[in-house]
Amino acid sequence: MRIDFFLVMAALLFTIGCIGVLVRRNIIVMLMCIELMLNAVNLTFIAFSYELQSMTGQVFALFVITVAACEAAVGLAIVLALYRRRRTTDADDASLLRW
Amino acid sequence: MHLLTGLVIVVMAAALVRAVAPGRPILTAIAGGIAAAALLVAFHQDLAGTDFWAGIIGFLAILSALFVVIHPNPMVSVLSLILNLICLALFYLLLQAQTLAILQVIVYAGAIMVLFVFVIMLLNLRAEEGLRIGRGVQRVGAILGGAGFATLLIIALRHRQGHAWMEPGRHAAEFGTASSLGGLLFGQYVFATEAASVLLIAAMVGAVLLAKRRLD
Repeated sequence: MRIDFFLVMAALLFTIGCIGVLVRRNIIVMLMCIELMLNAVNLTFIAFSYELQSMTGQVFALFVITVAACEAAVGLAIVLALYRRRRTTDADDASLLRW
Repeated sequence: MHLLTGLVIVVMAAALVRAVAPGRPILTAIAGGIAAAALLVAFHQDLAGTDFWAGIIGFLAILSALFVVIHPNPMVSVLSLILNLICLALFYLLLQAQTLAILQVIVYAGAIMVLFVFVIMLLNLRAEEGLRIGRGVQRVGAILGGAGFATLLIIALRHRQGHAWMEPGRHAAEFGTASSLGGLLFGQYVFATEAASVLLIAAMVGAVLLAKRRLD
């Protein structure tokens, strides 16, 4: 089988995550879609690391996992703070800073 | 033959999505369309010789990713995301990244997803009525943008140089093991590792600060 299979799979997962971030209004689901996109990027990194026989791609994927962990922690803390103030998890209701 | 199998799977997928999310024809159509595109691409001659089990895992990954997006209940979304992450861990195993596959299951499907489940339980979120999604321009723009983006990515993949086949045994024995990954992390990329530790500390402090009752 070809390595392109994994690249196409990653492209589709990234697109699904991208549509999810744009379409859904629930902040927690939006964060999950961001995780989906980061995972698609990881799959691309690892597929290219396999093709090029270089482990640098795997190191990059490890750092992406680190950043995803930070993003989830801070994002969910923001969701909790927003819920305490406004009793909502809807992105459209958090419009104080919107122009 | 492959095309026929793909079409059967598409019909089954559409029925499944329809059963889980009734009364949302637009989303079902989007889901079915993306699944159809995925399978037509996956079974195209460009990707000939795809392993059967890899195809099944890929189909599961796409389907669970769609459930994350289209399901109104956040808990089902989290569980689908865990399934998706495990499918990706199996892909990592196929691609000789054993350490990262284990880390994916432990860190991602374990730790990070537990955080999501915890927050959803804490906020006691119910399924949304009628799936709050962006309306009008936003929805159309998202669908058009997503379709355009997918087309762009697939065209880019079509025209890339060097279509490599997977050849088992081409890689060194230590490729993807924990010791070689650790050697790179603490050798060539030691500065990035330290920067990542600073990032983790900063995120932890930020999360603690945000979780305080009074934000001042």
